[in-house]
Amino acid sequence: MCLAIPMKVMEVDGFEARCEAKGVERQVNLFMMQDETLETGDFVMVHVGYAIQKVTPQEAQSAWELFDQVLEAMDR
Amino acid sequence: MTRTASEWLDRIRHIDLPERVKIMNVCGGHERSISSAGIRGALPDQVELIPGPGCPVCICPEEDVYEAIHIALGEDVTLVTFGDMLRVPVNVPRREIRSLEQAKAAGADIRPIASPIEARAIALQNPDRDVVFFAAGFETTMAPVAAMLCEGVPDNLYVLLSGRLTWPAVAMLLESGDPGFDALIAPGHVSTVMGPEEWEFVVNDHQLPAAVSGFTSESLLAGMYSVLRQLTDGTPFLDNCYPDVVRPQGNRNARKHLDQAFEVYDATWRGIGIIPGSGYGLREAFASNDARVRYPGYSDESRKRVGEMPQGCDCASVVLGKIYPNQCRIYGIACTPRSPVGPCMVSEEGACRIWWASGVRDQDVA
Repeated sequence: MCLAIPMKVMEVDGFEARCEAKGVERQVNLFMMQDETLETGDFVMVHVGYAIQKVTPQEAQSAWELFDQVLEAMDR
Repeated sequence: MTRTASEWLDRIRHIDLPERVKIMNVCGGHERSISSAGIRGALPDQVELIPGPGCPVCICPEEDVYEAIHIALGEDVTLVTFGDMLRVPVNVPRREIRSLEQAKAAGADIRPIASPIEARAIALQNPDRDVVFFAAGFETTMAPVAAMLCEGVPDNLYVLLSGRLTWPAVAMLLESGDPGFDALIAPGHVSTVMGPEEWEFVVNDHQLPAAVSGFTSESLLAGMYSVLRQLTDGTPFLDNCYPDVVRPQGNRNARKHLDQAFEVYDATWRGIGIIPGSGYGLREAFASNDARVRYPGYSDESRKRVGEMPQGCDCASVVLGKIYPNQCRIYGIACTPRSPVGPCMVSEEGACRIWWASGVRDQDVA
């Protein structure tokens, strides 16, 4: 349940952001990111709809690759 | 400098290992990555990987699930909860309602949600109706619940909190004198929120190697290499093998919300008992959004005595890392994901469910 997925910030509006991952868009809450400056194009780790940390594009990429592997394993 | 998984494995194979080393992880996400990537089979025979207390659904007290079921059945409310909680069984006679799923089938308004955002939205859309948010989880999940409360919630949203902290369970195992592991892989996203420092006690107080890992094979194997080297060198320290995400002090803003919304108390873990300083409870300032204040009649003290795992189920031993999932007496026989008996087979984060999903079908009962 502590799984967090990386998402790309598309648009910031106060404590809310429109974020995207793998073509899926979601509203993400930024209330826990008040110590960070977030801009369009940044990546965040998202857990239960809340951004918990800003991450590098490289970290986002490796996490996505991992989820593809895990999802594939779950489908077997 | 980043290494590939096979480079980490190669380095691990070159360590002069003792006869047997047991590394515990305390995160369902770690166990899922380990199982789906086949890391267990790739490591040298001396290295055992044991899943420990990493599933908040599995240890959510039976009396809390019972309380949620009966608030949903007894009051004119909408009860929302993370989807994993719906099938968790309570210990009641056969004909009684034994899960939130069964309560829903019996007519209670129970809805699975994926985010506290949905709980708030449902409350806003139904201003004349009480919405009870049954929230179980570890620190990573409790931080968003705290943030939701601190940001402000509608008056008709009531939180039925069943939050737990992970490190006190590991501390309890270490203080028991028979922890059952030689090194720890600390959880990546709990540490993202709380900071890696939370795990320093493993090294400082118990001289055991520890490393925070992420969820890729590379990060997990880097953590395993680190703790094995620490062990053979005799120099334990807390390593951070997930530094891009886990920063010193964690997410301070998230921790501030946790502190504002919740106080920490001695809390019950299902099948295990009370673990000191391991539970989150709502602070007085949020009493007007506390489901236990709104609906006090549903907390049944007497259930704490029966609040164990279902009969025949060894989930408690699985959660504590005393046995592997397939060493449970009913694994794959009476208990499968299709018809689960224990919470470890219900939750996506439960070790039994993860082992089953990764193809382990045979029991290994001694």
